[in-house]
Amino acid sequence: MSGILEAFRLYVQNLSYDGVLPETFQYAFVINSLICGLLIGPLLGWMGTMVVVKRMAFFSQAIGNAALTGVAIGIMLGEPYNAPYISMFGFCLLFGIGLKYTQHRTSMSLDTLIGVFLSVSLALGASLVLFVSARVNTHILESILFGSILTVNDTDINVLLAVSVICVVVGMPLFNRTLLASFNPGLAHARGLAVRRLDYTFVILITLLTVACVKIVGAVLVVALLLIPAASARNICSSLSGFVGWSVAFSSASCLLGIVVPMQYDLAIPSGGAIVLAAAVIFVITTIIRSTSGRFREAGV
Amino acid sequence: MAGPAISFSDVNLTLGGVRILRDVSFKIESGELACVIGPNGGGKTSLIRSLLGQMPHSGNVRYEGDGAVQLGYVPQFLEIDRTLPLTVTNVMSVMVQRTPAFFGVKKKYLSLINAALDRTGFKGKRNRLFGGLSGGERQRVLFAQALMPEPNFLVLDEPTANMDEAGARRIEEVVLELNALGTTVLWINHDLAQVKRVASKVVVVDGGVPYCGPPSEMPPQIAETRAGVVV
Repeated sequence: MSGILEAFRLYVQNLSYDGVLPETFQYAFVINSLICGLLIGPLLGWMGTMVVVKRMAFFSQAIGNAALTGVAIGIMLGEPYNAPYISMFGFCLLFGIGLKYTQHRTSMSLDTLIGVFLSVSLALGASLVLFVSARVNTHILESILFGSILTVNDTDINVLLAVSVICVVVGMPLFNRTLLASFNPGLAHARGLAVRRLDYTFVILITLLTVACVKIVGAVLVVALLLIPAASARNICSSLSGFVGWSVAFSSASCLLGIVVPMQYDLAIPSGGAIVLAAAVIFVITTIIRSTSGRFREAGV
Repeated sequence: MAGPAISFSDVNLTLGGVRILRDVSFKIESGELACVIGPNGGGKTSLIRSLLGQMPHSGNVRYEGDGAVQLGYVPQFLEIDRTLPLTVTNVMSVMVQRTPAFFGVKKKYLSLINAALDRTGFKGKRNRLFGGLSGGERQRVLFAQALMPEPNFLVLDEPTANMDEAGARRIEEVVLELNALGTTVLWINHDLAQVKRVASKVVVVDGGVPYCGPPSEMPPQIAETRAGVVV
């Protein structure tokens, strides 16, 4: 896979040397960040629509924050401090599945359980960070919280690529069924769907995607990229095709703008923040369209 | 396509320490149209959900008969956020097609969807947002999804509760058409006049089953004290 990535980087760099692309594309790290942006943009835009329909926004936020604890555990167990993927995926999967299992067993509301799990996870993470801060530069932990798309390496890209393939191959055929199970689990079950299995599968996919994106947009900001493009699309759409299509377009555009604009104009904005700010601008524009267009007018109270 | 016979024997259900169903035993024959009546909180929906395998009940619920059971189920409502951009066609296509609904509806499914909606008298508005429909219109759509594919066992949980008279009559006609073709029907219904008009059997559910038989033979004291209806 590294060979393919290297060939792609050389191709883009040559385009830049020939003047077809801007000068910034002569740097490998810029091309790496663009590859990541092109992978996570469409994927988060698409999965975000399901997160919005299933009302699981804060679940993704909780998973992102749990990644910090996963990093601390990884460093304690001797994983490389800049890529503790086994512990991150392991802990976050345990967190997500444990949360869903507890919800099924207790029938407690999801927001209450997320609050409990998130607090415990953060408390554990904060305690472990104290131990690992003696071993590594704490800026490493900062990059987990806020992302560092310009420092991604081939391992990060390969992990993201693998997760993207899993999400598309598993998630795409389950899209309709996942939607139906969220409309009415009883009806979905009566129509022959394994509702709980669908629930767990969705939780696993969202967890994998969130963790794979943590290095790029950060634990704090990954949920923003899941939600804001979908919310923007929802502002201006009146069908499912438009909802998913615009969400993918807005998310991809946010990623590309967030990466390219600060570099082109020498703006001192971190990439994760710039991506989310670009998404926020799109949200503001679509909100203005919705609030001023008669097409979307609704009852005031 | 004859529908299955359904038998409940000694079905008990306790939820959160409260006993919802007590020793429920009755049978619905193949091709019968049975209406379930009873007071609010009497356990009607729990009975249906036990039948569908969605409740931790004890006792036996058995489907009897040759051939596969093609179930059509109409719940009371769908929990769809009103503001989601989902059209009626989107909601219907999610029910029947495997290809993600955002790629559009395949021709064969579109004709199936249109036929089901036509049958319930749902005219036009197929590209309208599902969230923007009235309660009665939503129930028509919910009923239409149960016709895809055509069922031989139809379970209805108050499908006409929010409908206007014309809508309720249309649903009744479709149910009777299906029943005439052999479909077994189990219908939670609070409209005693309609129950007497359509049902060959009435099942009174009030924790237990104090009466199961023809509507015309239901003892008045049970109708007044256990069935939750005004005679």
